[in-house]
Amino acid sequence: MYILGISCYYHDSSAALLKDGKIVAAAEEERFTRKKHDTSFPVNAIKYCLQSQGISANKLSYIGFYEKPLLKFERVLSQHLQFFPHSLKTFLSSMPSWVNDKLRVTKKIKKELKYKGDVLFIQHHLAHAASCFLVSPFKKAAILTVDGVGEWTTTSYGAGDANEINLMKEIRFPHSLGLLYSAITAYLGFKVNNSEYKVMGLSAYGNKNSRTNTYYRRLKKVIDIKDDGSYYLDMSYFVYQYADRMPSRKLCKLLGGGVRQYSEKLTQRHKDIAAALQLIYEEVFTKMLNYVHKETECENITIAGGCGLNSVANGKILQQTAFKNVWIQPAAGDAGTSIGVVSYIYYTLLRNKRTYIQDNAFLGPSYSKTEIKRFLENNKIKYNIFKNRQELIQKTAKLILQNNVIGWFQGRMEWGPRALGSRSILANPCNPEAQDLLNLKVKHREKFRPFAPVVCEDDALEYFECDKPVPAPTDFMLMVYPVKKKWHKKIPSVTHIDGSGRLQTIRRSQNPLYYDLIKEFGKLGKIPILINTSFNIRGEPIVCTPYDAYRCMMGTGIDYLVIDKFLVKREDNQKHIWDSEKSARD
Amino acid sequence: MITQFTKGFKKGSKAFGENISIIVNSLLLFIVYLIGVGIVSVIAKLSNKRFLDYQEKKSRDTYWSGLNLTQKPIEEYYRQF
Repeated sequence: MYILGISCYYHDSSAALLKDGKIVAAAEEERFTRKKHDTSFPVNAIKYCLQSQGISANKLSYIGFYEKPLLKFERVLSQHLQFFPHSLKTFLSSMPSWVNDKLRVTKKIKKELKYKGDVLFIQHHLAHAASCFLVSPFKKAAILTVDGVGEWTTTSYGAGDANEINLMKEIRFPHSLGLLYSAITAYLGFKVNNSEYKVMGLSAYGNKNSRTNTYYRRLKKVIDIKDDGSYYLDMSYFVYQYADRMPSRKLCKLLGGGVRQYSEKLTQRHKDIAAALQLIYEEVFTKMLNYVHKETECENITIAGGCGLNSVANGKILQQTAFKNVWIQPAAGDAGTSIGVVSYIYYTLLRNKRTYIQDNAFLGPSYSKTEIKRFLENNKIKYNIFKNRQELIQKTAKLILQNNVIGWFQGRMEWGPRALGSRSILANPCNPEAQDLLNLKVKHREKFRPFAPVVCEDDALEYFECDKPVPAPTDFMLMVYPVKKKWHKKIPSVTHIDGSGRLQTIRRSQNPLYYDLIKEFGKLGKIPILINTSFNIRGEPIVCTPYDAYRCMMGTGIDYLVIDKFLVKREDNQKHIWDSEKSARD
Repeated sequence: MITQFTKGFKKGSKAFGENISIIVNSLLLFIVYLIGVGIVSVIAKLSNKRFLDYQEKKSRDTYWSGLNLTQKPIEEYYRQF
């Protein structure tokens, strides 16, 4: 039985395909269209999912959609009714897409896919809940979903037991922890629904002491937090409920200045505001989790929703709450709901026995050796071939040790926003200049942003102060932990200003080639850790095809591309016409 | 040259058509907003109806509200609401 899940029209459109209980393919549309956070109907992602199994849409038993469009429309109309006449501008800009697309989902699906079967609609937060619980390793677990907004819900909690999910309570729009984070992201001059993680990274540079950070006290006026983690926003500080902006003038006044322009220099004030926001986020998140634990009496917690990507807060879950185990959907944002939808239909609605655990994120397209060779030759690209796997590992490890930057393109593309060893840029973390080099010459991104370390799971405790055993979400780069002090100076490029690292752990069973490369690098350089950053430049989605990878390498400071068994050296090839520096955007 | 002219003419006509449709759509939507949303909104305001939760915050012990979202018969999931 095949079931297709679709998420689209808000941000991060995606599709996922389930075959007899197993997720066999999943991808975000942005990877194919090359538009970051693409919201369009995911026709390319669907095509990939179906082609990966050699089927057409008529083989599908069901198609699931990630929300109830009419409930969402009710909320949107309520906003316009509440805020008439202030909402005129957003009404004019948003209504055409509702009339043309969002309210015609069934028609669109059937027309685009030539599909005649059933389309099911699963509530947004239920899809989030299913995306974390039903594919988790737990038979029984508490569930927390936190995002910007679904239909009406912005935060919900409940419990899962075998195939059942019961979402017990919710917090409703306009009160939203995710939108609070987005509003401050906008205030700090970053792009909403894109750069929240930059604010999280920036927070490490600010004053993290809630007693002395004055912005913490000021931001507490914006949000009322109860002991059970529920919260209420003072909406006079926001305009997102009716405008296409987020912070109000009152919020600007509270924070002592206007919205930062992107080109404006980041000052200590901005960093302190980011730190204050992160402190408040963690306070709410921890209180919520403790309350959920009390209510559900479960020792396992599963998390989804865009806020589940806040890896700084995630890294503190097991220390600061009573939960013993945690699992987070690697695509915790809206993209992940397509996996939630198919899992909910197959396991909950159709009552099939749970057999699948999502233990890796390699669900995207891959390219065969023949396809890659054809691409290289058709484009007259000079390359070398590794004789065997061993040579590939040894030569690549040596190149990294010599401070070369490697574009690593192997196997199936990752699912979710993080590159986890299939479409990664790898570099030497012991090189103190690597961070500046990668930020400025390769990624063209802000200097303050840290890089993530990747380490084999069995070595993680030697270098990082992780929870024991190392939690599974660490495999998806979803937990930040302190780097052990004695290693701070030895791996400076992956040690953030506050001594933390957003590590990725890798188990051999997940990706043997990547695992062996890291081990080999450890043999040569004494420290088995690599810098792993996504294979893209700022503002571009992660590369998907060999062409994307080659184009990215040729337009940036990447020295070598290791693509399947082929080694492409940038210097051996003519400079590509594409100028990545000019293309870098937020 | 004629082909080029035809192509350019077609492109220009298309852009013109798109601009016209944007203007007409905006005008229609403006009327819908003014009459549909406006009248309902004014009536709702007069009768003190609130569409979003803006109650006085201090009056509550918790901001969690009941959801109780559990499995329903599969027919329920065919609906878009």
